[in-house]
Amino acid sequence: MAPLLEINNLQTHIQLRQGVVRAVDGVSIHVEPGETLGVVGESGCGKTMTALSIMGLLPTGGSIVGGSIKMSGREISALDAGDMRKIRGDEIGMIFQDPLTSLNPTMTVGKQIAEAVLLHREVTHAQAMDRAVEVLDLVGLPQARERVGEYPHQFSGGMRQRVMIAMALACEPKLLIADEPTTALDVTIQKQILELIDDLRQRLGMSVILVTHDLGVIAGRADRVVVMYAGKIAETTDTGSLFSNPRHPYSEALFHALPEKAAENRERLYSIPGIPPDLTNPPAGCRFAPRCRYVTDRCREEQPPLAGEEPGHLFACFHPVGEAEHGRTGTVSAHMPEQAPGPAPSQADGAGEVLLSVENLVKNFPVTKGVVLQRRVGWVSAVADISFSIRRGATLGLVGESGCGKTTIGRLVVGLDKPTSGSINFAGKDLAKSSGRQYRRERQDIQLMFQDAYASLDPRMRAGTVLREPLAVQRIGSRSEQQRRVGELLDQVGLPRSAAERYPHEFSGGQRQRLGFARALILSPQLIVADEPVSALDVSIQAQILNLMRDLQRELGLTYLFISHDLAVVRYLSSHIGVMYLGKLVEVGLADEVYLRPAHPYTRGLIDSAPVPDPETELAKVKAGIVGELPSAINPPSGCRFRTRCPLAEEICAEVEPPLRSFPGTGHLAACHFPLQSPMQTETITAAEVAGP
Amino acid sequence: MIGYLIRRILQAILVTFFVSVITLLLVHLFPGGPIRALLGPRANATEVAYYNHLYGYNKPIYVQYIKYVGQLLHGNLGYSVKLNQTVTSEIASDLPKTVVLVFLGTAVSLIFGIPLGVYQAVKRYTVTDYVLTGVSFLGYATPTFFFALLLVEWFAVDTHLFPAFAPQGTTIGAVLSDPQALVLPVIAYAFLLYALWSRYMRSSVMDNLVQDYVRTARAKGASERRVLWVHVFRNSLISIVTLLGLSLPTLVAGAIFIEVVFNYPGMGLAFFQAAQNVDLQTLLGFTLLGTAATIIGNLLADVGYAVLDPRVRYS
Repeated sequence: MAPLLEINNLQTHIQLRQGVVRAVDGVSIHVEPGETLGVVGESGCGKTMTALSIMGLLPTGGSIVGGSIKMSGREISALDAGDMRKIRGDEIGMIFQDPLTSLNPTMTVGKQIAEAVLLHREVTHAQAMDRAVEVLDLVGLPQARERVGEYPHQFSGGMRQRVMIAMALACEPKLLIADEPTTALDVTIQKQILELIDDLRQRLGMSVILVTHDLGVIAGRADRVVVMYAGKIAETTDTGSLFSNPRHPYSEALFHALPEKAAENRERLYSIPGIPPDLTNPPAGCRFAPRCRYVTDRCREEQPPLAGEEPGHLFACFHPVGEAEHGRTGTVSAHMPEQAPGPAPSQADGAGEVLLSVENLVKNFPVTKGVVLQRRVGWVSAVADISFSIRRGATLGLVGESGCGKTTIGRLVVGLDKPTSGSINFAGKDLAKSSGRQYRRERQDIQLMFQDAYASLDPRMRAGTVLREPLAVQRIGSRSEQQRRVGELLDQVGLPRSAAERYPHEFSGGQRQRLGFARALILSPQLIVADEPVSALDVSIQAQILNLMRDLQRELGLTYLFISHDLAVVRYLSSHIGVMYLGKLVEVGLADEVYLRPAHPYTRGLIDSAPVPDPETELAKVKAGIVGELPSAINPPSGCRFRTRCPLAEEICAEVEPPLRSFPGTGHLAACHFPLQSPMQTETITAAEVAGP
Repeated sequence: MIGYLIRRILQAILVTFFVSVITLLLVHLFPGGPIRALLGPRANATEVAYYNHLYGYNKPIYVQYIKYVGQLLHGNLGYSVKLNQTVTSEIASDLPKTVVLVFLGTAVSLIFGIPLGVYQAVKRYTVTDYVLTGVSFLGYATPTFFFALLLVEWFAVDTHLFPAFAPQGTTIGAVLSDPQALVLPVIAYAFLLYALWSRYMRSSVMDNLVQDYVRTARAKGASERRVLWVHVFRNSLISIVTLLGLSLPTLVAGAIFIEVVFNYPGMGLAFFQAAQNVDLQTLLGFTLLGTAATIIGNLLADVGYAVLDPRVRYS
């Protein structure tokens, strides 16, 4: 069969003031009818620009300067604007990463979908509207007919992405391009959306190009994969071969940088050194050469061609890794995991005194109405009676969907918010009771690390000033002592001393997170609350930060409260895991016990939802996951808050709130009436016992 | 929305009350008291005392205030001794004329400012854009009275195309019967506003053109014209509506500089003269009316906001 889409030697340039960015440099891709092609790579690798080149939607300054794009045998890269418009939305549909900003906020979803139909079909407004209802129904929007007149902000994130898909599919395109369609969504919703795309692909017989940075997403969904690096294809093959036998050192490095792979034995993550090249002036030879561990002189001078032993498995490398398909032998993978020197202190359970203990913590935010009088009409129950403790040197990872209250806990511990009730004991003192100077002094010992390092740094302050500020606020040391401390810390987090003179925008994303880490460390705190510190980073950079956090934990005896939505990252870094759902701690225990033998159905569902970069595992768990969406925290469900989405829920779940009960293992607790394994004893655990296992 | 409106109106009444207290107190801040200010330095103590007694300025301030509010509730804004007429009748004759001037000026500025702002955004960083930007900056930078005088010089003195004075009739009918004379005041008034609208519209459209939803519309196959007028335009208007609401008080307060330069008998000119003549009752009445207009303008801006932007829902 002829390919549906055939891209040959595509070259897309973006003209900037500083020069020309060779965003896509000689990319050849083909998509067969009915298949899903995964395009994977880190930010800036050209995957999105390739997708936008197909659509003819390049940003200002962008243009296709060479190569061809053929859709069903017809050249579309050189079509005029009018002809291209006929293809967009009709033959090729596209969905984007952020469904909120990608929908027009002032237009009803029905009109936005109907618009696509009206543009391409000879229909009346009423017919177009009927079609909108039809496709909304198709993408699984409940009560499509009633909701068609609503605006995007009235939908949840997952439902908005369904609306986006409905819009892209309104004219039944032959090709759907999904550019990071689930990156902005929770894992449970991500799974639902990916399943929907898969299901629609089969039902409508279309092809899908799935663009993502997430190898886990690719694993279960794509038939073939293209790995891109710095505007070029590094490797392309069927999904199974890529995961079982990656041949390009970059593909291999990506796999080794994944925390999923290393979580079991907690070996050090392989982190690709350096950052991707500047595409205004790419290196002469192989673009990966400066970061490659197998690099030779030939790599630096000559560009390796995209070739391979089997026609279906191509890679651009002179020194391929993995097993040769036949004939030549590949370089034997030199991946020697650096073992962590002895068990990290975090794994030594039972040792060390309790550093932080949180008891019956409650935080309600008022919901107010009115501008002047601000009448309170309800409460958002953000944190509802939570108790946990962390021993010195340990790491408690808090996981849960967005809106589960994990960030609020972080804010309460750091003291950015006051608890409604309950106590936070730090090193034996109740933090809620101290005030004034004492309060400020105690704050030194608990520091916060943010998700968005760039936004959390004052853009007009040099890095050195940023780092020195906490010392100045706390009046520690003379100016020269402070400067010496800044220097030491830059060494510790792996930044050059000269970095102190630079402004935040002069750093790369990973360097900024190092800077954020250094700022959290400058006061020599005992506890660091890290709120999603790596979720904005590419996987290779993420590995660098995770390694750094582990190294310094061991070196400085730090204790972490690590907040993340990413179960794999949490499992890799944490000694203990706490699973939160809608303000409640539903399960807590040693990381491996919670991960490998979850007692709560929600934990099980979260684990099943998280995409694993292993095609076999992914394909095996097709029907697992969690249905529905997180209910509102304003009037949370009675009894067990998870019961509305729980497959095991019975009447009692609505009536009685399940208490935390002990399960086999060290301090393994879960709150469920129908746990997935039998609890150790029938009596329930009181909050006080939970606090000091 | 209804509940929200009721609350906002109650709030408006409260604000008006506070302003009425403040304005009344301001009257007593004149050195030597309001009557001394009215009669001038040559009046003797007996005369001052007499008029203080006559107008009740010698009574305790709360008594004066109760009397004042009592009058207000009867629609009585006071009596201007200088003009020998009630403030209400003054407003009745001046307000329609000002409304005509300000309304026409605003309309003209919007008719040119909004489309040209959109045009500039589409043609951003081209020669046309730069030229129009220059015109806008000129509009910002030129003092209104100076621009008005230039118009008079060019179109009245040099070319005799339009009269140098605004229509002088006392009634609204007389003003409207001489449309030629309205041209220069309206243009003079519209210029600054034009600069404002076109600049805001340009940046607003430019902000919206790079939004993700615009890319989505293009991905659907929408034409650039459709993207602009169906998707971007309405989103861009949201920020303009606030400004428009906030400009409403000038409908009542008048365009002082324009009215003075063209000797246009509106609220602005009356206010200007009242200030020169220490016509306290007129100043007081006009200030109160301006307050009311400001509050209503804000309210209308919020309502317009909710109409244009479904995300803003007042409950």
